[in-house]
Amino acid sequence: MGLLSILRKLKSSPDQEVRILLLGLDNGGKTTLLKQLASEDISHITPTQGFNIKSVQSQGFKLNVWDIGGQRKIRPYWRNYFENTDMLIYVIDSADRKRFDETGQELAELLDEEKLSGVPVLIFANKQDLLTAAPASEIAEGLNLHIIRDRLWQIQSCSALTGEGIQEGMNWVCKSVNAKKK
Amino acid sequence: MRTVTTWKFALSSKMLGYIWQYLFSSFLRFWFKWFLRHVTGKCELQRICSGYKQGAPRTSRAEYSLESSKSTVLRAAVSVEEDQVEECAMAIMKEKKVISQKDPEFKMSLQVCLWQISGYKRLYASVEDLRKQSFDCENNSHENMLLRNYQAVGRYRFQGDDPKTDFRGMGMLGLTNLIFFSEKYTEMARQVLSHSVHPKLGYSYAIVGINLTEMAYSLLRSGALKPHFYNTVSQSPKLEHFHQLYCYFAYEFDKFWIEEKPESIMEFNRYREKFHEKMKALLQEPDVSLCLTVDSKL
Repeated sequence: MGLLSILRKLKSSPDQEVRILLLGLDNGGKTTLLKQLASEDISHITPTQGFNIKSVQSQGFKLNVWDIGGQRKIRPYWRNYFENTDMLIYVIDSADRKRFDETGQELAELLDEEKLSGVPVLIFANKQDLLTAAPASEIAEGLNLHIIRDRLWQIQSCSALTGEGIQEGMNWVCKSVNAKKK
Repeated sequence: MRTVTTWKFALSSKMLGYIWQYLFSSFLRFWFKWFLRHVTGKCELQRICSGYKQGAPRTSRAEYSLESSKSTVLRAAVSVEEDQVEECAMAIMKEKKVISQKDPEFKMSLQVCLWQISGYKRLYASVEDLRKQSFDCENNSHENMLLRNYQAVGRYRFQGDDPKTDFRGMGMLGLTNLIFFSEKYTEMARQVLSHSVHPKLGYSYAIVGINLTEMAYSLLRSGALKPHFYNTVSQSPKLEHFHQLYCYFAYEFDKFWIEEKPESIMEFNRYREKFHEKMKALLQEPDVSLCLTVDSKL
């Protein structure tokens, strides 16, 4: 391919838009992950009241990421954001063992939602920088992920704080969106 | 075609602006000052102190003048220690050959500027210290602070069982802000808290409060609060003054939220941003003073 045609191709194909929903319990690290994706300052993040949205360019996609607050009081609003979702990213605080049951319950409910049926899900086992963090394999087992048959899924250990593992997760997101769209 | 030419014109005038700014700050400013110094017999700092009233118009100009000075004595003056301000003012006068008999008010005016300019930097440092201390349930004094606050205004909810996670990012700064508000303006804080449990317009009191702490903190960090503190505190601003500003935010945001009638709490960030823009616009005004006035109806 000549240089000119590459340029033309770059110019003519506008980025494909992907709607990503970022969910999980409060204090899981959703906003830190979002800001990390957008290369923003993560030093003074506060709890999310309502939601945040950011658009990030990645591998020819325009990722519109919706980060919805995770506190119990606003979880009932999650469903207002389900429509047209291409990808669900579920964030888990791997060190918050006391709430593994609660987070598993919320995830199970999401996977049962009709509006999210067939939507691929990436689970980030976040906060791996903490010594007390459970490994992704243990979380996958606890959540019974292996029984999921109706959609693509993946679990990725990461640390939103250090950025480790995020790129791998996002690569999977782009690959799965591609596979789904074709 | 027309739009293209206008665009080009806009671009070139912008570039001319940059060139002018560069020439002015690196070369012309010096001669301009030299010229004025000989015509008026006063140095730039004296002209600022006599030409503008005390507050942001004067202190901001003095700060710029000090920072862009060629003299190390003047440049270092913006970070002077609080108890060295008088000596520093005298050193500047010596450097600039100012005779105090000829301009008796200058020394005091300059000292106020120095207190304010260096005080803002110290204030940021102490706010940052407090922010970096994290809330700890095991720590009795932290737990007591929270209890005291509950007693003052009534109990309010955090997200989970451990308030620590809510204070993330803002640490003890968030808690001390909340406490200051409920202890100094108890009635106002109660009013805000009662709005926050409204069935339709309600919001999480503690979490919105912590988000407002973050807003105040970010404005302090960027320097945007300088005009406010230069106008309202004629000494070095202290933590208490920062807490006062937080109270203004907490009370005014609640008022704004109620007036705007948002659809639900999910709209919080949109209105937060709107409020943020409103505050930034106020901070652009030279005589800005974001002070809470106690309503006589309360």
